[in-house]
Amino acid sequence: MPASRPAATAPEAPIRLEGLGKEYGRFTALKSLDLTVPEGTCLGFLGPNGAGKSTTIKIMTNLIRPSRGRASLFGVDVRREPTRALARVGAVIETPEFYGYLSPLETLAYAGRLRGMTSTEIERRSEAVLKEVKLTEWADQRIQKFSKGMKQRLAIAQALLNEPDLLIMDEPTSGLDPRGMAEVREVIKSLKGAGRTIFMSSHLLGEVQEACDDVALLNHGKLLVHDSVKDLSRGSGTSTFQATFLRHPSDQELEALATVSIVEEIKDLGDGTVDLRISGGTEAQAAILQAMVSRGLTVTSFRPLGSPLEQLYLNHIQESDHP
Amino acid sequence: MSTGPLAQVATVTKYEILKYLRGRRILGVLVLVALIVGLILGLPPALGVAYASTPNAFVASFATFAGLLAILSGVLFAADALVSEHEKRTGYFLFPNPVRRETLVLGKIAASLIVSAALISVYFGAAAISALAITGSLSWDVGLSYVYALAYVACVVGIAYLLSASLKSTVASTVLTFFLFTLIFTLVGALVAAAQINPWFVPTSASGIIGDVLGSPTIAPGPGGGFGGGFVPDPATSLLVFAAYAVVGAVLAIVLFRRRELSS
Repeated sequence: MPASRPAATAPEAPIRLEGLGKEYGRFTALKSLDLTVPEGTCLGFLGPNGAGKSTTIKIMTNLIRPSRGRASLFGVDVRREPTRALARVGAVIETPEFYGYLSPLETLAYAGRLRGMTSTEIERRSEAVLKEVKLTEWADQRIQKFSKGMKQRLAIAQALLNEPDLLIMDEPTSGLDPRGMAEVREVIKSLKGAGRTIFMSSHLLGEVQEACDDVALLNHGKLLVHDSVKDLSRGSGTSTFQATFLRHPSDQELEALATVSIVEEIKDLGDGTVDLRISGGTEAQAAILQAMVSRGLTVTSFRPLGSPLEQLYLNHIQESDHP
Repeated sequence: MSTGPLAQVATVTKYEILKYLRGRRILGVLVLVALIVGLILGLPPALGVAYASTPNAFVASFATFAGLLAILSGVLFAADALVSEHEKRTGYFLFPNPVRRETLVLGKIAASLIVSAALISVYFGAAAISALAITGSLSWDVGLSYVYALAYVACVVGIAYLLSASLKSTVASTVLTFFLFTLIFTLVGALVAAAQINPWFVPTSASGIIGDVLGSPTIAPGPGGGFGGGFVPDPATSLLVFAAYAVVGAVLAIVLFRRRELSS
């Protein structure tokens, strides 16, 4: 009989948060967060201001201590062994300030040396990451002259310096112009393509929908949803559409539309424009369009208001705000 | 990729020194040093007074201001070193790196000590060269005075770091460090002396050893001419007092800095 092979040890999840909680005096910023992010996942961490997103990220990067629970990166407790836990991590926390007396190259060299990189590695990677965030031209300039957007680009560059297995980013596109935001999204996508794990908080739902595989939604320090973007978008329940008609529908026509079973709410905006909140997915959209046409209404445009993720976000936040 | 804590301390020290070199503070202190040296060397001939004839007496004039230089060094090169990481938000860049807070504090302390010691060395170097040129000799006491001044610098830096780790603003930390050594300690020394207790444990009293070793009682610089200048502990006690404040200050700074959260 062949000898049984020892069971392969499952690799530790890049992020595992267990019962994580944080109080600032009498204010509870984080209740009891349990969240595991598997390797190679890009997770969008969503929630309104004060939801506990930054608190979670700060605990994960050892900037603050949890009041209870545990945050582990690659199986290493951040609180107990911060240097080991953060060794394979790159982080962008808010818009960090840098030392104004240093240039981007010197800043990267400082971070690289603290991480134990050799001079050759630092030189090679600095050149690459500065090119990636479009800062090559300013590589030797003192940072004290930099705008917020430039500092944000540098923050992303230093987070990528050591080719981290896990990238933790708090509002990575904050302070960037639309072109800069698009470039950061491309960087994130290329990192995702390279199999890196990404944990990204953002207010920009479109950005998360475009870049992330999974979404975790937080409000009042509590995890509301954690699922894949695909499933959440599919099963968001209700969606709002704006329909414009050739002529303004009468009150009777609107009342008749409201009786269609999938219609949850109709808002008359005047000038032949109506907002409709309907339940269901693409079939429901087809049904409402059919109902409009069968009632003699000529539709000139029919478009969704916000992405499915945005609608899901708003539904969950409203629900948790007014349970 | 990994690096030992010692290499990390050296890295932090290197970049902190770079900060001081590229800032204007070192230049400011060097201008002050030049001004003091210029006045000490220029005033006697201008007033028709002869220079002291012995190296000890000659360097004693320099020693009078060595305490003030030590305090200024602590204020300018230590008092804001930790608090600024929180206040200026540079901690958001520095702290998520795989480096322990105590490593950061030790690297910063080393940089503060190196820069402060370098400035004191320039000052005593100028004093020694002047003494050699004018009196034609030097004594070991000048060297001892220099060593005491360095020990006093370490004491000021230790306390400055403690305040920097405790307070929330760079201004508060800087101002409090300055007034602690120019006013508050001096006042405590005077009050303790008034209660018939020798203020051997007050650093400004112990700093009198910098001038005393040269044979002239030092007047501690500061408002009121320094009330605590009357009593100076013996050299061993003075050195122990300096060491105690330096070590306790640094250790408490590490403990407080480790516990401090970056939540603003």
